[in-house]
Amino acid sequence: MDLTSRKLVDRSFTGLGWFSILLMAAALVILLAPIVVRGLGAFVFKGTVEHRKLQFEVFGHGRAGAVDAETAEVTEARQPVYDMLAAFEAELESADFASRRKHAGPLRELKDHLRRLLGPLPAEDAPVLMREQYGQTRWDRAQMALNHLLLIETYDYSDPTQMGRKILTPRVEDFKGTSLEPLFAYVEDNASAMLKPRWTLYWRFLFDSSHDAHFFGGIWPELLGTIYLTLGAILFAVPLGVISAIYLVEYTEEGSRLVGLLRTCINTLAGVPSIVYGLFGLAFFINSLHVSQSKSVLAGALTLGILVLPFVIRSAEEAIRAVPQTYKEAALSLGVGKWRAITTVILPAALPGILTGTVISMGRAAGETAPIIFTAAVSVGQPLSFLQTFSEPTPALPWNIYNLCSEHEAVDEIRHVQYGMVFTLVMLVLLLNSGAILLRARITKRMRG
Amino acid sequence: MTVAPTGNMVKPVLSIKSTNALRQPSDGDNQGATHLSIEDFSVFYREFQAVKNVTMVVPSGRVTAIIGPSGCGKSTLLRAMNRMNDLIPGVRTTGRLCYLGVDIYGRECDPVEVRRRIGMVFQRPNPFPKSIFRNIAWAPRINGYRGDISNLVEHALRQAALWDEVKDKLDQSALALSGGQQQRLCIARAIAMQPDVLLMDEPCSALDPIATSHIEDLIDELKKQYTVVLVTHNMQQAARVSDRTAFMYMGELIEIDETRTIFTKPKKQQTEDYITGRFG
Amino acid sequence: MADTRFIIQRNSLIISARANRLRRLAALGGRGILLLITSSSALVILFIFYFIIKDALPFFQLRGLKEFFTSTAWYPSSSPASFGATSIFVGSGLVTLGAILVSVPLGVTAAVCLSDMLPFSLRQLVKPVIEMLAAIPSVAFGFFALVVFAPQLQERGGTILSVAWWMITAPVAFLMLWIVSSVLSSRLPERIRSMGRLGLAAALAAPTFWGIWFVGRSFHALEISSGANALNVSIILGIMALPTIVSVSEDALQSVGGELREGAYALGATRTETMLRIVIPAAKSGICAAIILGIMRAIGETMVVWMASGNAAQIPRPWFNVLEPVRTLTATIAGETGEADHVTGSARYHVLFAMALCLLVISYAFNYVSDRIVRRTSRIGRA
Repeated sequence: MDLTSRKLVDRSFTGLGWFSILLMAAALVILLAPIVVRGLGAFVFKGTVEHRKLQFEVFGHGRAGAVDAETAEVTEARQPVYDMLAAFEAELESADFASRRKHAGPLRELKDHLRRLLGPLPAEDAPVLMREQYGQTRWDRAQMALNHLLLIETYDYSDPTQMGRKILTPRVEDFKGTSLEPLFAYVEDNASAMLKPRWTLYWRFLFDSSHDAHFFGGIWPELLGTIYLTLGAILFAVPLGVISAIYLVEYTEEGSRLVGLLRTCINTLAGVPSIVYGLFGLAFFINSLHVSQSKSVLAGALTLGILVLPFVIRSAEEAIRAVPQTYKEAALSLGVGKWRAITTVILPAALPGILTGTVISMGRAAGETAPIIFTAAVSVGQPLSFLQTFSEPTPALPWNIYNLCSEHEAVDEIRHVQYGMVFTLVMLVLLLNSGAILLRARITKRMRG
Repeated sequence: MTVAPTGNMVKPVLSIKSTNALRQPSDGDNQGATHLSIEDFSVFYREFQAVKNVTMVVPSGRVTAIIGPSGCGKSTLLRAMNRMNDLIPGVRTTGRLCYLGVDIYGRECDPVEVRRRIGMVFQRPNPFPKSIFRNIAWAPRINGYRGDISNLVEHALRQAALWDEVKDKLDQSALALSGGQQQRLCIARAIAMQPDVLLMDEPCSALDPIATSHIEDLIDELKKQYTVVLVTHNMQQAARVSDRTAFMYMGELIEIDETRTIFTKPKKQQTEDYITGRFG
Repeated sequence: MADTRFIIQRNSLIISARANRLRRLAALGGRGILLLITSSSALVILFIFYFIIKDALPFFQLRGLKEFFTSTAWYPSSSPASFGATSIFVGSGLVTLGAILVSVPLGVTAAVCLSDMLPFSLRQLVKPVIEMLAAIPSVAFGFFALVVFAPQLQERGGTILSVAWWMITAPVAFLMLWIVSSVLSSRLPERIRSMGRLGLAAALAAPTFWGIWFVGRSFHALEISSGANALNVSIILGIMALPTIVSVSEDALQSVGGELREGAYALGATRTETMLRIVIPAAKSGICAAIILGIMRAIGETMVVWMASGNAAQIPRPWFNVLEPVRTLTATIAGETGEADHVTGSARYHVLFAMALCLLVISYAFNYVSDRIVRRTSRIGRA
């Protein structure tokens, strides 16, 4: 090969390297962008009057006067719709049988869509399910409901080689020539007067409990469950891990058979798939030790603790090893026992490293799903008090993300909650990680003086 | 550079708890009495004999310097005097190394207690990553000192001639001090424990000339109160600060005598060769 | 002088034989307690093996080995039940293989780029990207795969595939053309060499790019019936394994040291030649360990495969057809333990432990191999 070709190969190789780095960065952006953008949608969105009403009636947030005034305004805007409906129904009473039969079905459908958009019709019994007691709380969902109200969606399967083709027909066709015809134009033109969308910052999404299987409210039970599990795991793993690290670094000779054995065990532990931890937690903590009757936060936290233990040991070991030997010499030369020297000089000096490892392990414990499926997580539950964590299972962010996006009855209608949960979890983990990095930098700087 | 004993010192609390208290060295009256006596003492690193059958005495209240070329075993011998070699795996000793008549390598001797009484200053300044105050207060507190700790810290810093430089920033990190100041802080830290003997392992080798002269002045002051053993490869330093000098070569103690004698009319040819700069 | 001394409480130098014994006993006891705690955290792994084996053995006693490993009929809840796990093993293998194909080339080149090409300031920017990728919880990846990626793949899978195909093959083809034509044209006389090279390149380019276009078009025409399939999962698992592979191989490349590189540069080698012929061979065991760790991450991953692999216990036809849904060991355990838990003691419950045992053995084997590789390397490095 001549020099030009060699240079070209060199350039392309460099290009390949850059390409893979860029691809990795792109993967991160493509992954995070929808989660961040749509996840923020759970916190910042155009809330309708229904949202404010719900917040006031269910959670007691907001001012009574303001909500009442707004309700009065929208009731006024909605009144013509209900009047038209009533007039049409009265008209239908006196119509002939064929016309009644023709309109009964479409009318029922129309009323369903109206209920979904605006909440229960006046002079109806209050529905049992909370999701039927209120109209659309979010303007984006409201616009979808409005679309469904205005347009009928059907599929054409006439060509068997193709997938069904979507056909949209205006619903108003069903009511051509009746007194209900102007209703559609009215609803389309006055939707925002009837719902009063307004930009809302719903930070309480984090701290509101959920209602009616996550149709309304926030994610506090999940968030609290995750916090309990994470703290429990850390409380279990950190003391054990740090003591083990002390023993491995300070009390054993490198290269002895015992250390080799211990290290092999710890390395193997680090490689066990997380789902196996879950089964082990079920078989050991619940079915053998009976730490609780069935799933509980305690069992889950212990399982997660074992999961992060090898990482805690490794990071603590590294941190302790990084403390200069001279500190130990100085401490011993002052006539201080070994254990005292370790606890008062070496551990404080290793603290930044240990803390960093701990915080990163917290992020890991918070995000793991597989180990808690059989040991701690349930789909629906109330926020637990501290004492309940010893015996009760809890919802937790990772598990409920799975649950809401693959097992929920109305997956598409609560996308914003799913995204909000994923966003919260990812941010929690990333914050913990960057917090660890900052912490390390800060403590190192302070130590240097 | 004077050590000014502050007038309002707390009264001495003679709290010797032990049942069979040993003879405490009192100051002044027994200048020159034997403090450490080393008999036929050897140190091995696994197979390698680093110190070979050394026999010598360290008299109380004086500065004894150990000189010799690199790798002659002088640091190993010094570190053996307060059992710092215990930290290194594979080290064993033979012979006797007695402190106040007690073999510190004996089974019944407590190495921690030995190190309380025989302090050490290392080659490189090694303050803890704590504040200046806590660097000094740390060891006395752990060893159950019940008196006024800030008085003790001030006393130690004054003795180490560091008080005036740091009195306004006792809460700052010790690692922010200069190298010479750090080394004096380490000396202050060692004397806060009120040891009888102070071992110094080339305390100036990592310092600039000005800081070195500070430390040398300090050693001169310290010998009024402590027995000092100093390892150095700087012969001028040994000549300037020590009362007695030992010369070691290849693990063996070649000669030990009054400093003046060693430097003017050594008895052994090897000593003379080293001092006149023919090798080393 | 004496009155200026602060007396610190002193104990006797000599301790009585009894106190001495007590002291030694206390030290020994302290060490013992430390050892106990340490070994308890190390022995957890033996506990895990014990409890998984304990619950896995009944399955093999009940049903034997043959059905589990050779049959593809997985109907654990019908009666009579059958527990053929072959298709599940194949599913695990397939997505892992896919993940390797995605992550190893990308990861190793990224590591090379990171250790030898990027300027220091950029490296400080890229490292957090890797750390963030490593930190993102697997359920978030699974959510992305199921909710964002799968619908896209289903709707415009053909386009995505053909774009990816072009992105990979076009530069490679261009480079190969250049090299081949330059090698062939080096025989030509000096005067017409550059002309000849261009002509050769053009002549070769036509069929090559036609071939690429042809294959790309057939990719474009593909209809993907479900976005939740092995391809989706392979890509996501590959991305998840990337951080491990990149950071461990980068460490390996860094530890090769500057002297070897300088030696090669001094002989006039280009950076590519230095990397490919000298540095990467020197770091190859570390890179192997990195790849093994990446594979372990992919095999052990649960949430992504459970959510986005389609969970169909079947062997795709042909076996490498990644556009079909598959089911893996981890997803089976995750999905069926909940239902099988209340029938504790049945084969249906124990079969899941048998699968966990297989996972454990696989991960232990990989761990052992990577451990051996790393240890051998460090021994060579020290010698």
